[in-house]
Amino acid sequence: MVKKTIIFFLIICSVSVAQSNVNPDISLIGMFDTYMNFDKNTPDYGKLLFDIPSFELYIEGYLNPYARAAVNIAFEEGEFSAEEIYAQILRGLPLDIQIKAGKYFLGFGKLNTFHPHAWPFIDRPLWQQIYFSDEGFNDIGLDVNFILPTEDFYTTLDLGVYSGNSMAINTAGEDTDPDEVRGNSLIFVGRLGSFFSLNDFNNFDVGLSGSYGNYAKSSFYVPDSVAFPSQTLKYFYGGIDFKFKYKPDSYTSLVIQGEGILNHRDVIRGTETEPIFETITTYGAFIYFDYQFLKQFSVGAKYDFTFGVIGDDYSATTISNDNANKTSDIEGWIGYYPVEETLAFRLSTQYLFFNLADNMTKDGETTITLQMIFSLGPHKAHQF
Amino acid sequence: MKKYLILILVTLVSLHLYAEIKVVATTTNIANLVQVIGGNKVSVDYLCRGDQDPHFLEVLPSYMLKLRNADIVFKIGLDLEKWLPQLIDGSRNDKLELVDLSKDISKKEVPTAKVDASQGDVHPYGNPHYWLDPENAKIMAEEIYSALTDFSSQDADYFKKNLDNFKNEIDSNMKIWASKLSGLKQKNIITFHKSWIYFTDRFGLKVVDNVEPKPGLPPTPSHDASLIQIIKKDKIKIILMENYYSDSAPNHISESTGIKVVKVPIAVYGIEGVNSYIKLIDYIVNQVSANG
Repeated sequence: MVKKTIIFFLIICSVSVAQSNVNPDISLIGMFDTYMNFDKNTPDYGKLLFDIPSFELYIEGYLNPYARAAVNIAFEEGEFSAEEIYAQILRGLPLDIQIKAGKYFLGFGKLNTFHPHAWPFIDRPLWQQIYFSDEGFNDIGLDVNFILPTEDFYTTLDLGVYSGNSMAINTAGEDTDPDEVRGNSLIFVGRLGSFFSLNDFNNFDVGLSGSYGNYAKSSFYVPDSVAFPSQTLKYFYGGIDFKFKYKPDSYTSLVIQGEGILNHRDVIRGTETEPIFETITTYGAFIYFDYQFLKQFSVGAKYDFTFGVIGDDYSATTISNDNANKTSDIEGWIGYYPVEETLAFRLSTQYLFFNLADNMTKDGETTITLQMIFSLGPHKAHQF
Repeated sequence: MKKYLILILVTLVSLHLYAEIKVVATTTNIANLVQVIGGNKVSVDYLCRGDQDPHFLEVLPSYMLKLRNADIVFKIGLDLEKWLPQLIDGSRNDKLELVDLSKDISKKEVPTAKVDASQGDVHPYGNPHYWLDPENAKIMAEEIYSALTDFSSQDADYFKKNLDNFKNEIDSNMKIWASKLSGLKQKNIITFHKSWIYFTDRFGLKVVDNVEPKPGLPPTPSHDASLIQIIKKDKIKIILMENYYSDSAPNHISESTGIKVVKVPIAVYGIEGVNSYIKLIDYIVNQVSANG
């Protein structure tokens, strides 16, 4: 009895000592954009405008020797939201799998898993705005990550299952009830990615992604349809991504990165009284380079293309259901990083132009943005 | 049948006995010391190249692969390798043993008050560049010996012999190095980054200022101007700097004052021909004594 009491006491003591010594890492990334828009159709043409500053508060750390957890609270456009809440089992599982569960940015492509402040450019790529949302592909679910036995290069396979709320947002915006839009059904997301170290200075990563599920109920678009009252509208996204980086020394690097998506989905066309059920195939892609030529400076450019029109309202024929209209952009930037990761300034010019069907026209839009990013707290090392 | 079983058993046992210890070192200096102590009983790989700044290493999956198959990973510690936990997590190697070589080092510049970013990139547990003192290399080698022996006790004698040889080699070289730098004792020098305190304390040199206004901060014109004043006033002869930093600010100061910029590697393989720890210190000492 005495022995058991001592052991119990020791366990309690060790737990309390451990708890008192274990603090998670806390960091805060603040962002502030000021911009001028040269869209002749807006009253703000040529005016200097200020966005409400935004921030992301990260709290992360090890739960125990096997697992980590992270929470990311975002304040954007004047509102708080839980952008990420997840735990990840890193080691100790059969086949060396890793499991991540919670709410987080999904591993479709490479860029989506990185937060925007870690990108060299300012605006989310167009096809991600069209086929994911303004906030990226972010959902609640579970991912299992396998490391494959490719000896000389690092290959991982992610298989995830998610609530599908992200597809409801993509279909109808943030303010709609997901159940009303698409019912309650899961979506699936996976990525197969390989990393090749070509030599000491050149590295290359390539990946294939896929996502499948339903994005809407037909009744969301045509509530009283007799033809297909309870049809689900399915989608399949196929993706390809690559990233190449040349880094000969501490002060010089060249990154070339690109991603593309193929969108294959059921859509409803026709009229409300005579709806037609079709499948469409559309696509989008971006490619950019970012060249760091001094410790504190980088320049870059991006070309971006997608089906769909940025800024459209949600309907059965717009955003990711649009197979007639196209948006492109060319963006150039210069980045200034005075002291390591603590402060960054980016001056960017984006020219957005539209190619519309049915002889419709829409003027191109030029936006000049100056962005400041600051970082408080510990900085994690850069991931490739 | 019995014969075959015995043969298989003997083969397995002998394979285990002669299996190399797979070691990954975070830096090439550690890798060299492990190779010296472990000899042919270890296979060693490293993460940060000799010409790279060990403070900043990108998290590459290829490094995770190296750690995936390793038995032991040795690190400098004192918060130098902030990138290591991410690599270990990515390796998924739950048998990997992590050995911190700073354990028995007498740390210098350990902050006594609260550290914050206004002081620059200050290491909260002390200056981590302790390998630049050859006496500390002996302590690192002891730690490596201890870890290898724990892993493979049957090779303890072999490791001990290598350890003793290394310590003797350091001791005999120390006399030569100290003699070469004796003329510079108590002489003022300027360093680029605050990484030379262990080296200069050991050999009696005095660092009066750094080209970086604060650790990790890029040189500024106003700080350069104040350095030029100090150099002219105190007749300082050298700026000592790591070869992975840009020398444009030191060269600018040199043009104004005539001070010599001594750009050296601080890690094995940091420059061609420097392929061992002894050669590294030898190279640094020779460069400093020739220009000082």
